[in-house]
Amino acid sequence: MFTTGTKLLIGSAGLAWLAAAVYGVAQEGALGTIGLISAAVALSLLAGVNAFVRDSNVSATDTEAFDTSAAAQATARRSLWPLLTGIGLTMLALGMATLPAIFVLGLIALGAGLIEWLVQGWSERASADRAFNDQAREVVADPLELPVAGAILFAIIVYAFSRVMLGMSTKSATVVVFSVVAAIILALGVLVALKRRISVPVVTGVFSIGLLAIVAGGAIAGLNGERDIEVHETTADLAEANRCGTEETEADSHASQTVAAKSNPAATLIYDGSELEIDEVGDDGQVGTITLPRSNPTNVMFLNESEGEARLVLELHPAVDADGVAAGPERICTTLVEDGGRQIMTVEFDRPSFALEAEGVNYEFVVAGSDAAVEVIVP
Amino acid sequence: MTESSTLRSRLRTAALALTAAVVLASCAQDAPQDTWDPAGSEAQKIHDLQWPIFLIAGIVGLIVFAVVAVCVVKFKDRGQPIPEQTHGKAWLEYLFIALPAVLLAGIAVPSVAVIIELNDTDNADCVVNVTGQQWWWEYDYPIAGDGSICGYMPSGESGSIVTSGQMVIPTDAKVVIRGTSRDVIHSFWVPRLNGKRDMVPGRLHTWNFHADRPGIYAGQCAEFCGLSHANMRMEIVALDPVDFQAWIDNQLEPYQSPEDGTLAADGEAEFIAQCARCHQVDGLTDADGELVVAHPEDQVYSGAAPNLTNFATRNTFAGATWDLLTEECRDDVWEADPENFGERYLAGVDRDCLNAIDLRAWLRDAPAMKPMYTEPEQLEATDGLVRGMPYLALSEDQIDSLVAYLLERK
Amino acid sequence: MALIERPRTGDLTPAVATPEATYGAFRRPVHSTGWKSWLFTIDHKKIGIMYGVTALFFFLVGGLEALLIRAQLAGPNGTILSADMYNQMFTMHATTMVFLFVMPMAAAFANYLIPLQIGARDVAFPRINAFSFWCFLFGAIFINTSWLLGGAADGGWFMYAPNSSVPFSPTNGIDFWGLGIQITGVASLTGAINLIVTVINMRAPGMTFMKMPIFTWMAFVVQFLLVFAIPVITVALFLLMFQRSFDATFFTVEAGADPLLWQHLFWIFGHPEVYILILPSFGIVSEVLPVFSKKPLFGYPLVVFSGAAIGFVGWGVWAHHMFASGLGPISVAVFSVATMAIAIPTGVKIVNWTMTMWGGKLVFSTAMLFAIGLIVQFTIGGLSGVTHAVAPSDTQQTDTYYIVAHFHYVLFGGAVLGIFAGLYYWWPKIFGRMLSETLGKWNFWLMVIGLNMAFGPMHIIGLQGQPRRMYVWTEARAGEGFFNLGFWNLISSIGAFVLGFGVLIFFYNVWRTHFGRHKAPPAPLDPWDARSLEWMTTNPPKEINFDRTPVVSHLDEFFHRKYEDRGDDHAGYEPVATAEEVLAIEEANADDDVHLPSPSYWPIILAFALPIMAYGVIYNILLIAVGGIIVLLAMFGWALEPATAPDSDYDPPSDGGTDLELPTHG
Repeated sequence: MFTTGTKLLIGSAGLAWLAAAVYGVAQEGALGTIGLISAAVALSLLAGVNAFVRDSNVSATDTEAFDTSAAAQATARRSLWPLLTGIGLTMLALGMATLPAIFVLGLIALGAGLIEWLVQGWSERASADRAFNDQAREVVADPLELPVAGAILFAIIVYAFSRVMLGMSTKSATVVVFSVVAAIILALGVLVALKRRISVPVVTGVFSIGLLAIVAGGAIAGLNGERDIEVHETTADLAEANRCGTEETEADSHASQTVAAKSNPAATLIYDGSELEIDEVGDDGQVGTITLPRSNPTNVMFLNESEGEARLVLELHPAVDADGVAAGPERICTTLVEDGGRQIMTVEFDRPSFALEAEGVNYEFVVAGSDAAVEVIVP
Repeated sequence: MTESSTLRSRLRTAALALTAAVVLASCAQDAPQDTWDPAGSEAQKIHDLQWPIFLIAGIVGLIVFAVVAVCVVKFKDRGQPIPEQTHGKAWLEYLFIALPAVLLAGIAVPSVAVIIELNDTDNADCVVNVTGQQWWWEYDYPIAGDGSICGYMPSGESGSIVTSGQMVIPTDAKVVIRGTSRDVIHSFWVPRLNGKRDMVPGRLHTWNFHADRPGIYAGQCAEFCGLSHANMRMEIVALDPVDFQAWIDNQLEPYQSPEDGTLAADGEAEFIAQCARCHQVDGLTDADGELVVAHPEDQVYSGAAPNLTNFATRNTFAGATWDLLTEECRDDVWEADPENFGERYLAGVDRDCLNAIDLRAWLRDAPAMKPMYTEPEQLEATDGLVRGMPYLALSEDQIDSLVAYLLERK
Repeated sequence: MALIERPRTGDLTPAVATPEATYGAFRRPVHSTGWKSWLFTIDHKKIGIMYGVTALFFFLVGGLEALLIRAQLAGPNGTILSADMYNQMFTMHATTMVFLFVMPMAAAFANYLIPLQIGARDVAFPRINAFSFWCFLFGAIFINTSWLLGGAADGGWFMYAPNSSVPFSPTNGIDFWGLGIQITGVASLTGAINLIVTVINMRAPGMTFMKMPIFTWMAFVVQFLLVFAIPVITVALFLLMFQRSFDATFFTVEAGADPLLWQHLFWIFGHPEVYILILPSFGIVSEVLPVFSKKPLFGYPLVVFSGAAIGFVGWGVWAHHMFASGLGPISVAVFSVATMAIAIPTGVKIVNWTMTMWGGKLVFSTAMLFAIGLIVQFTIGGLSGVTHAVAPSDTQQTDTYYIVAHFHYVLFGGAVLGIFAGLYYWWPKIFGRMLSETLGKWNFWLMVIGLNMAFGPMHIIGLQGQPRRMYVWTEARAGEGFFNLGFWNLISSIGAFVLGFGVLIFFYNVWRTHFGRHKAPPAPLDPWDARSLEWMTTNPPKEINFDRTPVVSHLDEFFHRKYEDRGDDHAGYEPVATAEEVLAIEEANADDDVHLPSPSYWPIILAFALPIMAYGVIYNILLIAVGGIIVLLAMFGWALEPATAPDSDYDPPSDGGTDLELPTHG
């Protein structure tokens, strides 16, 4: 069932697990435990692989198997994997002394190298037929190699391309670059599809050049650094900072106005430079008051039809508790909306208007810096 | 019976059933939510559009059944030779494509016209805000710039009217509702006045009503809205202009405390202690003379509870699911002829007509009557906020006084 | 394609070691009998039967749910079910019937029949085929375990947001529902790709697309619908999963979301889904009617193209489920007209079936009765559909029992009657014994009477204003007189039980045919004088399907081998050979060397990991890792598996035979 090699590996793995557990409990040390667990995982993996592939032990009495035994096989062929394993070990040591990242990379290189080494060694002794051995290696290794290689390749492309995108000086430049790259890929795809017979080297060459270009672009852009990424601010930040005046704020230039429109608002407030006009169903063009529901998030649209920029502000007059702490923001507002622009404001009232009237105030929409106002009645 | 004749008779039955459903349903008078019994111009538009379509559909159906029946009878295997192995004639097939195409084009044109008409909200005479929440409807009447409500100028001071269950509208007026929801999607549907319109949180949807005659028109939430979906009803009460003016004036009358020493006065204190956390009564003041402001958003997940200022002017409670009137008094109102209807409705609820059994049962243990997720473990998802009226452990005495107090709210 | 992969040339046979031996641990299972032969099978016929049995089981479950609903609604203020239980019941009734009965039943017929109808020995990816089935089964079981784990989904099968969010549905029911549908979605998607490849690549020599049997055609269209529809619901379900399990705000209004997003996503899937449910049955009756009319299908090309047309136009009508949701008049008008347009190809099918019977030589077998029943009942459903394609009319009818009546006429009167026609028609083919025709007729008439009693009155109930999905209805809104809701609700409930009884007769019929004292004798080779390829083999078919890969020269190939035209006008057809004689020729020229794909452990193991991950989403994130590891292992096991197990060949290889090895890269 299990060959000697497998037994050795299983034993080592068990020992490593045990050591990890003992060390972990006794020392409560993280690094040592991690190291031992890593070794245990690696050994378990090796044991598993070995059990699965079975090494080519041939019994001395099994004369029929002599021809197929390891001793009868061709000598081992060139291999990349000892090198990779060596690099992995070196990085492991280096990483322990310097950066954890190098340690992890070393671990990965070591694991990959050992697995590949194992598979190659096993396949070279699978039979006397070299072609068959190659085939056997592919069958075992491809399902591992191809997804991993694909994932790595994909990650490289995504990372490099993202550096290019982030390196562009403006957002619009990224749109152009993105479109151009997409168009090139599409065009190449079309060409490949249209040309009935196209040799594999040509396709490989084209792909390689494309890949190189992206990686090179990514490297250059990455070294150049990223453009300034603007902090995302919302009108909620404005309300919190109580900056609902006429002056322009950081948030005004940064808040997104493109997603500000929404279908089916409860009402549209139109500012014509002097007055706020209410446009709501069944109540066209009236000035003065608007009735909005209590304790329900309601969307109100602000449309600026004045000559300059304008900001809609809702005075909330929040309830104050015994310590004089307000239950919510004093007021909320839109960003400065340019001429002809529109923006939605989501409002919610938690007290009816008559509760405010007792305090001599009321809910009110105003335009910052003007006399335009609309009283809100909350039933 | 031979097979063919059973099939024939079955076809006849099927055809009859369809015709019956189509033709006779239009004559029925009795079900309060009959979709084939329009009582307003919007529903009438739909009706005028749909009955010819039902008729055409019925006729097409009968033709298909007839052809199938003929096949079954005529071409039964009686030892005739193997028929011609043909896939048919092209012209016949094109004809069978063209015929329904023409028919459907004929249906499509008026349909599109009616779709546009039904969505026209211009020139409204009256606007009502409608808000759905689990599992009742709230109506509030916006005050126009000149102080008028729903196109009528109150005789006294103007103010907000907030009701629930029954939406009161004037007859012969184009009433536009502006609807939304506080939690999930509900659908506002009063079949005899118009089709349904979903009320979606975060969106404002409009829909028109136009009642020809005074009366009560029954409706039911038509979009599945959770546990008590079946218990979420609504009624539209149409009053003629004089009665509607009276209704508005009555709704806006200032609050009057019960006389000291009466059971109702005890009820007021109970109400402030037990109910006013969620239920608003406009103008109610506590012992210190402070206005009592309800804060349902601290108690209820939807953030609202019915406003009870004029509770006893309504005929229903708890999502219009239970009647406030005894069966006899209810029939009196529902079956009143249009001239007397307004008077009967405006009389509201008095002690003789009160359906005390259901109201007291409700106060005693509301969740037992209407499932509302009130078990503590079910409230984890809402941080303890209830979904409807919880069990309040009121004593019978407390209930007595509350009923007395509520009866005076008109 | 410019890059053409050439098959590997050269002999890879090693000197001594064989691949199977070398790869050691990963031997393929070799079972042709016993329960293991079913568990690890990749034979499309066995998988088809398992699909069918499972689907019929869930038909009973869904039926039971329906009966409970109708029992609750038989009278006013029903008390059999609580509000909560009722909501779970109607949600699961729809979910079960749609996802766990009709869809897999169609998959059962498609799996079993498509390879036989196109003269292939199996599907293109046999292991993926097994994987599809196990995904479906485990997904179905997963959804239904919610009954025992705190309650099933209670948001309706349409699961509208925001009512499907945690505050409104605090139990895990909706999580089970969403994740379970996701898993059965994997089944549908992989199954669809498999069958599309099968139909495109594995048709018998001579079978051009326009010589393909009509059932295969309709199933083919359905697979395309699945390929495009399932991803949409997958996206929607992912949003729902993140909303419920990971605090996302896709449907939270306070965060600026619009709940109508869900409705659009759901119905972009949901409407094509309707055609996914109905088209296989259209295919079945289009097979049954010609056989029992002794005539080819009237307007075969038109039936094919109208099926494809339904498949296309079906994508442009989803918003007719949303006429009341406030889309605005222009959208409503556009979708209203588009919906009317789809009535045309559907009408074409009705006409073609009727004209197929016209001038025929009609034999009223049970299968034929069910097919005729479909024409009549589906017409009723189709016409009531036209009445609410008209959007204003729909605002009065949507969400009422009128709609319930409509889609039950379409789905029960259409899809289910079609499925029963198929069951009676192909039963001898699949199981080698004929179901009793006498019991079959009882079955048919009770079902049709029950169907009309149960769903007919719902037209009235709906037009009288009773909305759907209410756990009780009340006397106060019932009215009086002939159209009062009380009477018709009662009739409807009685009808539901009649219908249920009719369905039980089918199961009794099955039992009697196979196990009872009056067990039926083996069926004749060609009991219905059938027309298509699946009958040109034994009953039930051998594991290799056909002794010789058939060569096709006609639509209705089998008919043309049995009958020949003596005249010039297609009118003088006379029998020239019996089915036995046709088959004898095939047997005499049997292919020598047939490699069948070998059974495999991996499909069932891989599928089993999915519900484990789903439980992980609900209960403990660690379980996801456990499931994930199983998925990885199973995928590698799958990939490493040798192509065939040599000892499972149908015939040992012999010299000079045609090598008909099947692709196994599934």
